[in-house]
Amino acid sequence: MAQALRIEPDVQFIRELQAAGGESLKKCYQCATCSVACPISPANDPYPRKEMIWAQWGLKDKLVADPDVWLCHNCGQCSDLCPRGAKPADLMSAMRNMAYRNLIPGSAIGKWMQSPKGLPVLFGIPAVIFALIWVFMAAINFGGWYEGGSLFPTGRVVPGKIFYGDYTVDPVFILVTVFVVLSFYKGVKNLIASIAPQGTTMVLGKKKNILVCLLEVIFLEILPHSKFAECGDAGEKNSRKIGHMCLIFGFISLAVVTGVFFVGHWVGRIPGLEFIYMEVPLPFTNPMKILAQVGMLLLLVGLTMLTVRRKGLDPAKQSSNFYDWYLIGVIWAVALTGAFTQFFRLADWAVLAYLVYYLHLVTVFMLIAYLPWSKLGHLVYRTAVITYIRSMGRKAV
Amino acid sequence: MSNAILVVGGGFSGLTAALEAAEVGYDVFIVEKSPFLGGRVAQLNKYFPKLCPPSCGLEIQFQRIKKNPRIKFFTQATVQKVSGSAGAYTVKVHIEPRHTAPHSADLSLLASSLKGETKSEFDFGMASRKSLYLSAPFAFPSRYVLDKDGLSPEDRVKVAGSAFVDINEKAKDIELSVGSIVLATGWKPYDVTRLENLGAGSVPNCITNMQLERLASPHGPTLGAVQRPSDGKAPRKIAFVQCAGSRDQNHLNFCSYICCMASLKQAQYLREQYPNAEITIYYIDLRTPGRYENFRKKVTADEKLTLIKGKVAAVEADAASGDVILEVEDAVKGEKRKYRHDLVVLATGMQPSLAADDNPYGVTVDADGFVVDGEEKGIFAAGCARQPLDVMRSAQSGASAAMKAIQTVRGR
Repeated sequence: MAQALRIEPDVQFIRELQAAGGESLKKCYQCATCSVACPISPANDPYPRKEMIWAQWGLKDKLVADPDVWLCHNCGQCSDLCPRGAKPADLMSAMRNMAYRNLIPGSAIGKWMQSPKGLPVLFGIPAVIFALIWVFMAAINFGGWYEGGSLFPTGRVVPGKIFYGDYTVDPVFILVTVFVVLSFYKGVKNLIASIAPQGTTMVLGKKKNILVCLLEVIFLEILPHSKFAECGDAGEKNSRKIGHMCLIFGFISLAVVTGVFFVGHWVGRIPGLEFIYMEVPLPFTNPMKILAQVGMLLLLVGLTMLTVRRKGLDPAKQSSNFYDWYLIGVIWAVALTGAFTQFFRLADWAVLAYLVYYLHLVTVFMLIAYLPWSKLGHLVYRTAVITYIRSMGRKAV
Repeated sequence: MSNAILVVGGGFSGLTAALEAAEVGYDVFIVEKSPFLGGRVAQLNKYFPKLCPPSCGLEIQFQRIKKNPRIKFFTQATVQKVSGSAGAYTVKVHIEPRHTAPHSADLSLLASSLKGETKSEFDFGMASRKSLYLSAPFAFPSRYVLDKDGLSPEDRVKVAGSAFVDINEKAKDIELSVGSIVLATGWKPYDVTRLENLGAGSVPNCITNMQLERLASPHGPTLGAVQRPSDGKAPRKIAFVQCAGSRDQNHLNFCSYICCMASLKQAQYLREQYPNAEITIYYIDLRTPGRYENFRKKVTADEKLTLIKGKVAAVEADAASGDVILEVEDAVKGEKRKYRHDLVVLATGMQPSLAADDNPYGVTVDADGFVVDGEEKGIFAAGCARQPLDVMRSAQSGASAAMKAIQTVRGR
């Protein structure tokens, strides 16, 4: 007698998916409008219809092994045309949210990002770390700048008087960076293992070098935002594409500034290389200082565009959950505290400058240290998946 | 106090309700908005359950109405105001002038001599009609109607000379006293121009299922030969797009009930007309309620009929060939493809005609436009005013509404 295939739905998984942003998934009746509505889903293996039924049936194995959730760029065309309000775009984004949380240990961090209830913990950790540093520096009267037990250093406002880079900010963030890089390494390894085909795969033609694929993805897809140009309707396309571009190039500028400064500051101590030595605050004539200002402006412009777009979404079609707002909110906080630190420093308003700089460090920590569990994880995971499937001979479309 | 019954709408359910009530001895008024009775059924080529032409079922109803002195009907009439309560309603009815004498004189010669032509709404704009016209050969009342606005100055002189035309007839307002009201206001095909991803009615060879009924009707614009509207070519590859606007919260949030059966019926008569034609039906779920399942089995046994599970989500015209290109994901195979067809039929659904903003009856309509109450006030909805139905069930619901109306007025 033939054995009937028995589907074992993972009910817990369905509930988790619903909590992570896919609450409407049960409304889907498999009409397949979404797969056609999606401008980038491929003809031979389209999405997101199949993801909807896998989710309804709780087929966790299928969904976790599905690279397509990473190919989706979340334009929401599928949800706009969905006849049932099942919001397939939200499900795809919920799947990614689940991945951020489950690919590596520390799923609690992901859970905290799911609702405002987790915010105090996420904020509290760096707040305590940097508060301890601050109190410690004041207690030892670091550099002799603290008079009469005051918490605020005297003289010209220099953030380094509290958070002296060499001993405080740099070690903390070097540790954080190492932690994040290791986490991502592990996460990417797990992710690729889960989407890799079972058994051996015959790749027709020459198998592409993974590094070449990565460069292709970065320079042909990510930086020119080629997918954003295809996704969504005209007006949407622009605000999303330009907003996201501003953010990416803003971050790239700031990363270049940080990197150059880090090298200059540390490598510049090696005898013979003193000419590259750098120290904060940089003068406004320094090209790196100028680049930093450009980066800050790009962040603010990009953030404004993306926030306005997200605010304007029809909640019946595409909802924004706390994951989305957490990321936008933290980037806003980083950009604003950064901008205001500089402003207060130049205005010589010491108390405000130091307090805002403290908040700046806390928010930068919130952005970077939790990165693999946050929505910003797509920076690494989406790139990894697109690169991987490209190396397997499939383009994202 | 009155024990007369008002039936609003002269389609199949309204006619049935009127006849059932009149034939057991109650006075009935029918108020019909268009110039002829018969409603949507009159526009069909064939209808369920026996696939007869509309003249077949309607003719006997018309005979019964003609012979029954208890039924009075008003065409080109609309209800303006309803006041009173169960058992004693006063209904104000506005009647547009017909401009022709009540003799049902044969005005065909005069009509064909007229120059002015207008798009025929009865044929969904696929043909034109004269300004003096009957909607169909079996139209009831078989009395011509004059559309004064469509007359050319020359035509005007011509019709004014006819003894059977009164070009100066004025609109009338009358008052009826009734005890109960049956709302059989029916449905209209969903507006395709709102289906933006399905071509919004601008793709020439992408027509609606009701337009196909007219094309296939022996009294229709092509006398029953189904041809492509753009070039008159006989279609060889035909597609049906199910749920075009139905089961869709952006359009009609309910299943229109009849479209699957309508497409199967149309597939069958198209295959009879074109033995070489290939037909594809794109569907979400093929809904063939009750005994209709047998009909589904019969039609789908045809090897030239293909069923593809997947809702068409994009329609575009190929300007050079006039073909229509559909994009669908075949949900069983899990592949997305573009399919080329000569002729595409959108299985559009039924939208209730009674609009929430033009409802003098004081009944509640739900979000979809269907009547949900009124019984306590002696107002009973029948047919598609109440829910999407086929002709048979419309007739049943008409009879049921008549029964309730009688109970309301009995003994008053």
